Amino acid sequence: MTNSDDLAQLIIGCKSGDSKCFSQVVDMYASRCYGYFYRLTGNRDLSDELLSELFVKLVEKIASYKGGSFEGWLFRIASNIFHDYLRSKQRRKKLLKVHKEQIESEITEPKKSGDEQIDILQIQLKRMDTDTRELIMLRFYSQLSFKEIAKMRSEPIGTTLAKLHRGLKKLRELMG
Amino acid sequence: MNSRNDENLKELFERFLSAEQAESSVEDIQKAEQILREHPAPEPDNMLIANIKAEIAMRLPAKRTNIFIKIASKAIYAAAAILIISAISLNLFDDNVNTREPTPRQYGSIIPTAIWESDDITTDDADLAIYTIEIEQIEEELRSLQSGEDAGNGDSSLSELEMELVAINNDFWKE
Repeated sequence: MTNSDDLAQLIIGCKSGDSKCFSQVVDMYASRCYGYFYRLTGNRDLSDELLSELFVKLVEKIASYKGGSFEGWLFRIASNIFHDYLRSKQRRKKLLKVHKEQIESEITEPKKSGDEQIDILQIQLKRMDTDTRELIMLRFYSQLSFKEIAKMRSEPIGTTLAKLHRGLKKLRELMG
Repeated sequence: MNSRNDENLKELFERFLSAEQAESSVEDIQKAEQILREHPAPEPDNMLIANIKAEIAMRLPAKRTNIFIKIASKAIYAAAAILIISAISLNLFDDNVNTREPTPRQYGSIIPTAIWESDDITTDDADLAIYTIEIEQIEEELRSLQSGEDAGNGDSSLSELEMELVAINNDFWKE
């Protein structure tokens, strides 16, 4: 992990259109952002698409980054991309009622991890509601503080704490 | 910035729960996060990362061109605005615009004044001078015929001279 000064230099480079700086940002955040998308969708192909979209958005929006937590800013974009995907999924569901079950299984069916074992965590995450799952993943992959997560979600910090605590407790029970 | 590393979870929970409940909640969170660490999500493929970097590189020149176009358009709009404002200001603040007297019309002749007013035609127009001499000669001959000084056929000579005079007159106005 680079320190904040290095990150600030990278962001300045990105703002001036330096592709090497963008490459370094991709190297720094691709793994965490991919994990975030994968744990929310359970689908590698879809996570590939969402990750690509995230970094394309990064190029388009980097000029609008005005300081503060870069992780917070980046994961806010990631969260917006995921919500856009959810909305498009809803539209697809309405349009293609015939294929409803097929689409749902495509979205939520757990895939095998790299070691080809069934991903138990993904199966249990599927049993949780989307909002709680997203909150847990945002906390885990973005590494933001509760204060920052609460601000991003526009809710009181007590609400964020309570929701996350309930969600993680449930996950522990499911995995136990 | 209140980063995650600086965050004291127990202290945060104690704002809403008793010390005992706060401790239990922190333990719940830490154990659940341990489960997440033990089940890492798959990593993105190297090919995917390479594709993303290539796409970023491809988009950057277009983005720079767009920035240039934006800057150039702004400069053009600013210049146009300055021109328009200047034109409007000049019209608005020119007090004489309604009180100014109309400029008197200037007339000019096609024939130069010196020639028009000159009495010495021969020096001003060579053709006119030649015609004048011919007319004077004919007039002279006509006078001598009328006075009986010419010994030839008087009627025909007079007719010839008159016809010559008419021809010269026509030629003159054709010129």
